[in-house]
Amino acid sequence: MRTLRLLRRRRALLNCAPISHDHLADRSMRAAVSREDGSDGFVNQQNFDRAVAELIRLVPIPAESAEWFLDKGAIRGPKWTWRRILLNPAVLAISIALLVIAGVFTFQVLGRLNDFPGSATARKLLTVAGSTRSVTLDPVSAEAGTLSDLFFMKHGLEHYDVPDEFADFRTIGCRVFDDDESQRIAQIWVAEKRMQFFLFPAERDTKTGAVLAFPGWRYVHQEGWIGAVTEHNGVCFMAVLQGREKDLEPYLSGPKQ
Amino acid sequence: MSDRKQNLPQLYRFCFLMLGDSRKAQEVFNTTLREAAVRAAQGELPREPFWLFREARWRCLEASKTDLQPESLEIEEHDIAPQAASQIKQLDPTQLAIWISAAPDPQRSALALFYLDEFNYLEILDIAELKLSTLSRCLSQGRRQLQAWLDAKHLGAAEV
Repeated sequence: MRTLRLLRRRRALLNCAPISHDHLADRSMRAAVSREDGSDGFVNQQNFDRAVAELIRLVPIPAESAEWFLDKGAIRGPKWTWRRILLNPAVLAISIALLVIAGVFTFQVLGRLNDFPGSATARKLLTVAGSTRSVTLDPVSAEAGTLSDLFFMKHGLEHYDVPDEFADFRTIGCRVFDDDESQRIAQIWVAEKRMQFFLFPAERDTKTGAVLAFPGWRYVHQEGWIGAVTEHNGVCFMAVLQGREKDLEPYLSGPKQ
Repeated sequence: MSDRKQNLPQLYRFCFLMLGDSRKAQEVFNTTLREAAVRAAQGELPREPFWLFREARWRCLEASKTDLQPESLEIEEHDIAPQAASQIKQLDPTQLAIWISAAPDPQRSALALFYLDEFNYLEILDIAELKLSTLSRCLSQGRRQLQAWLDAKHLGAAEV
């Protein structure tokens, strides 16, 4: 059955055998032709086909139609230049998408470069700073450095100390609240440049419970707000104001990163 | 597009073989190229190879729809003779074109595309949208019928 099918296919291929050898399309055609090459029937067929093809080559082309041959460019698609490729809607869309992805990726990487233990909490507190009104705080007029005792005495918060750089600033109010992770946060509002201070527990190693300390001051940014964070005795202090790094820099001493 | 894919003289000859009339062939050829030029200007040329031949084929079939159609007769068939080549050489290209154009489609398309000697069989299958078995039958029958016609012509000429 299979042999019969093969024979039938070979016969079919021989009937379509090309006039010029340049048109031997594939291996099966080449095999069929080489197997039959020299047989009387096939030689007759090839001579017949060649004679017909030669006759057709003699078909004259009318002058009016021949005019088209001079202007082949008229029916040639425009060449693909770099400009055309770049302006292709599909390429353009993909390029824009890749640029956006690259931008987001770069932004994420740059954001991560400035990360430090507690930076996530610090960023959340910058949002709190932006939404806090002074009336929501208990009015306290004192030097910021003296509020450590208040936090310890009233709320049992140990080491919630305002660093020396900010200890002399006059306060307007303060409060203690729990954030969404039930961490005790102390917030102080001072008169100087309507600055706010936050004191919150430093991040700890989840396995050992050890404080993840970092040296000096670190900056965090969020929607036009800037915070400078430092860690001391397992508590982070953050000074916050609306502005940029250069607005906070004059207040800080020691290494900044 | 490579020159082979838009071999314009061969495109004209194809139209001529399909229609057997140089005026009609010119009309289809010119219309096909005019349409192609408009599409090229709009940057909408098809990417597929040999689309010009495919377009021209449909136009030829469309153009010949209104013509008188040959009656479906049992056409005589003869084995290809060793002297066939010399019989063919005595023909005029127009006579051959008229004979091919009188064949029913797809035999007409198969013969026209095959004897242009421009395409391999796979390309012909693609352009004429045929199966190998159909193309093979069309060509085999075509040769035998053409041989019978040549024999009849030769015999007729000898009698005269």
